[in-house]
Amino acid sequence: MTTHSYFGRLIGVAAVGLAMNLCPLPTVCFAHEGHQMECSDSSLNAMKADTQAMPDGKSKTTATKEMEAARDMMQKKDMKACLAHMHNAMEAIEK
Amino acid sequence: MSRWSKFSTGTRPRAVVATVITAGVLIACFGAASLFVYSGAYDVAGDTPHNQPVYWLLRNVRQNSIAARAHDVVPNDLGDAKRIASGAGQYAEMCSSCHLAPGMKRTEISRGLYPRAPELRRGSVLTPAEEFWVVKHGIKMTGMPAWGVTHDDEILWDVVAFLRKLPELTAEQYRAQVESAPTHDKMMLQMNIGH
Repeated sequence: MTTHSYFGRLIGVAAVGLAMNLCPLPTVCFAHEGHQMECSDSSLNAMKADTQAMPDGKSKTTATKEMEAARDMMQKKDMKACLAHMHNAMEAIEK
Repeated sequence: MSRWSKFSTGTRPRAVVATVITAGVLIACFGAASLFVYSGAYDVAGDTPHNQPVYWLLRNVRQNSIAARAHDVVPNDLGDAKRIASGAGQYAEMCSSCHLAPGMKRTEISRGLYPRAPELRRGSVLTPAEEFWVVKHGIKMTGMPAWGVTHDDEILWDVVAFLRKLPELTAEQYRAQVESAPTHDKMMLQMNIGH
């Protein structure tokens, strides 16, 4: 093995290790870009504040329903489903 | 005849009972209100949204208050390109950090404000007179400042003129509009020397 490829592998392993450290929970890593969403009370509260400010209409209705579904899932400890609903709500908010 | 039946038959004793009950209810309401205010029971944290009835109440109070006070005569030239360009510069300087703009990502301040500042590129339900009133006088407990304290009416109407145009603009058009606008500092200087 050459020195060049050895260092290449070392950098690759370090990068994977760093990524794993930065994303301790899969739910955080899949979150919507720029929003650092995770299935928690504080994220759901932030989302509720966003939806309250939306003008009445289809997007607001969708966002509100998705957010309520996310809260239900959180109470049932289904974090993956919670995050999926939060993602849908965020899509509706940003439409 | 019992004491109570005696009260219920005479007009005067009945009035006394009604007065006592009314006073009791009022005292109880006042006590409950005092308890609510002084116990600190209501959470005023900006990261905990109001529940729906409180939000509804505050929103309706705000909307009706604005509608009842917005009586300024709207200038005829809100569509004037010069006004719109001037408003673009003011908007970029004073408003965009909270209300955002086409092509702009949400800022830290826009994400932390409660209630959230409306994203004005999505349009507004307010009339031009109402928009002017809000820009000039601000809104209590929302973070919206009263720009009329530091800016004259003409500049604020320029902002309103731009707000009417904003929902139609793409990110590129917005950027071009802002780049062609006189700078905020230059406009403020002109305002202060009376041009």
